[in-house]
Amino acid sequence: MDDLIICRCEEVSLADIKRTAHMYQCSAREVKLRTRAGMGYCGGRTCRPAVDAVLEEVTGEKPGNDIPLKVSPPVRPVSLSTLGGSERHE
Amino acid sequence: MYDVVIIGAGPAGLSAAIACREWDLHVLVLDEFPKPGGRLLGQLHQEPSGEWWNGIQETNLLLEKAQKYDTDIRCGVSAYHIEKLEHGYAIHTNQGSFETENLLLATGAAESAVPVPGWTLPGVMSIGAAQVMTNVHRVKVGQKGIVVGVNVLSAAIARELQLAGVELHSMALPASNPATVQHSNPNTVMDGLVRIAHLAPSAFLRFGSKFAKASWVRRLAVKFYPKGGVKMWGMPIHIRKAILSINGNDRVESVTMCRINADGEQIPGTEENITVDFVCIAGGLYPLTELAAVIGCPFRYMEELGGHVPIHSERMETPLKGVYVAGNITGIESAKVARAQGELAGLSIAADKLKAHADLQQHVEDAVKLVATTRADATIQFHPHITDGRHKMEQAFQQTKSS
Repeated sequence: MDDLIICRCEEVSLADIKRTAHMYQCSAREVKLRTRAGMGYCGGRTCRPAVDAVLEEVTGEKPGNDIPLKVSPPVRPVSLSTLGGSERHE
Repeated sequence: MYDVVIIGAGPAGLSAAIACREWDLHVLVLDEFPKPGGRLLGQLHQEPSGEWWNGIQETNLLLEKAQKYDTDIRCGVSAYHIEKLEHGYAIHTNQGSFETENLLLATGAAESAVPVPGWTLPGVMSIGAAQVMTNVHRVKVGQKGIVVGVNVLSAAIARELQLAGVELHSMALPASNPATVQHSNPNTVMDGLVRIAHLAPSAFLRFGSKFAKASWVRRLAVKFYPKGGVKMWGMPIHIRKAILSINGNDRVESVTMCRINADGEQIPGTEENITVDFVCIAGGLYPLTELAAVIGCPFRYMEELGGHVPIHSERMETPLKGVYVAGNITGIESAKVARAQGELAGLSIAADKLKAHADLQQHVEDAVKLVATTRADATIQFHPHITDGRHKMEQAFQQTKSS
């Protein structure tokens, strides 16, 4: 069961998350930064609730009012030329 | 510079656009899907009154109205960032940037994954993906499948798959693991099932749903749940059976199912293999709020609303000047509620924009009432304490405003 994949973009397993949470006794946010769970191509859209559920089980940390992992742009995959600002403006 | 840019062309976004166009605002609607309509497009169900709710028809009604008012709707446009300007906002998309005075976020919801071993195999999809393939793209998702996760959403979509002639073996729970806590406990699931039982065309279930309002009755129902499952539209729903794993080499070939006790623990020696070529996982919906987060909207976590929700008032304004929200980003409810919220948000934007020229207060108040009555009349309640959640949110908005 521990080899169960939780974050499929970054291939982070249940064991990876559990081990990190125990080893560093850290917050949900730190676990994500250390393992990259929820930080892949989909921006955590697929696994975020699952990662949060695992951390609540492992560390007992309940969801607070803030979104557990800070959301940073770009929130969708975009090409570098788009980010470079060569697109039109209205 | 637009008066308002609306992100999301679902029931909330389209109704808001219509309301804004009725007051002649300069409006742009963006949606990342190739077609307007959002998740409304996939919906097809029979209401207890016997009438059918056809999402494609409902979308067309909204689109006809939007077209009558010459509304600019652009699809295939993904917004990836929003920045604050001196007098408004810049929305950055894969099709260029747009500047606007006001912004309506009607981005809807996303599905929670249910990780069980094998869930990354090709042939496993979220129940919502199966709905879109079936009802929007008209693609048959497989020959025979199984639904993992029993909730309001999965029961409704399983019925739609059945209507489209897609064979489903049954619906069952995911096996218990730290990521499936909410979905793997038979008692928790039974509490949710009771809220949809009135939709089942079975006198037995409807009868059961009446007295199952008492929690001790529900506990008994879980304890003595029939081994063959309870059939809804001829398909067994199992809450005392769980899917341990999804199996296959390069794609889904079977699932392993076992019996579980009333606490969701596996009963050893009851494993059986079931041949399927697709699996729908169903973990329910949560509000899709990324864009609200990047512009700095404050949030509240409310289980009643389905997760983290940007703070907003009953007239759909956020504490950020010119930023409004409507639809499932404000909490998980039906498309009818989203539509009413969209109209309200559109009227609020028009009222704020035109306040020097026209008094729209009465229109806004009527729209607030329409949202409340639509909510009270809803056939499906995704969360049982939705009205409490709405009250708490209004309090949170007032606190934020006064601090």
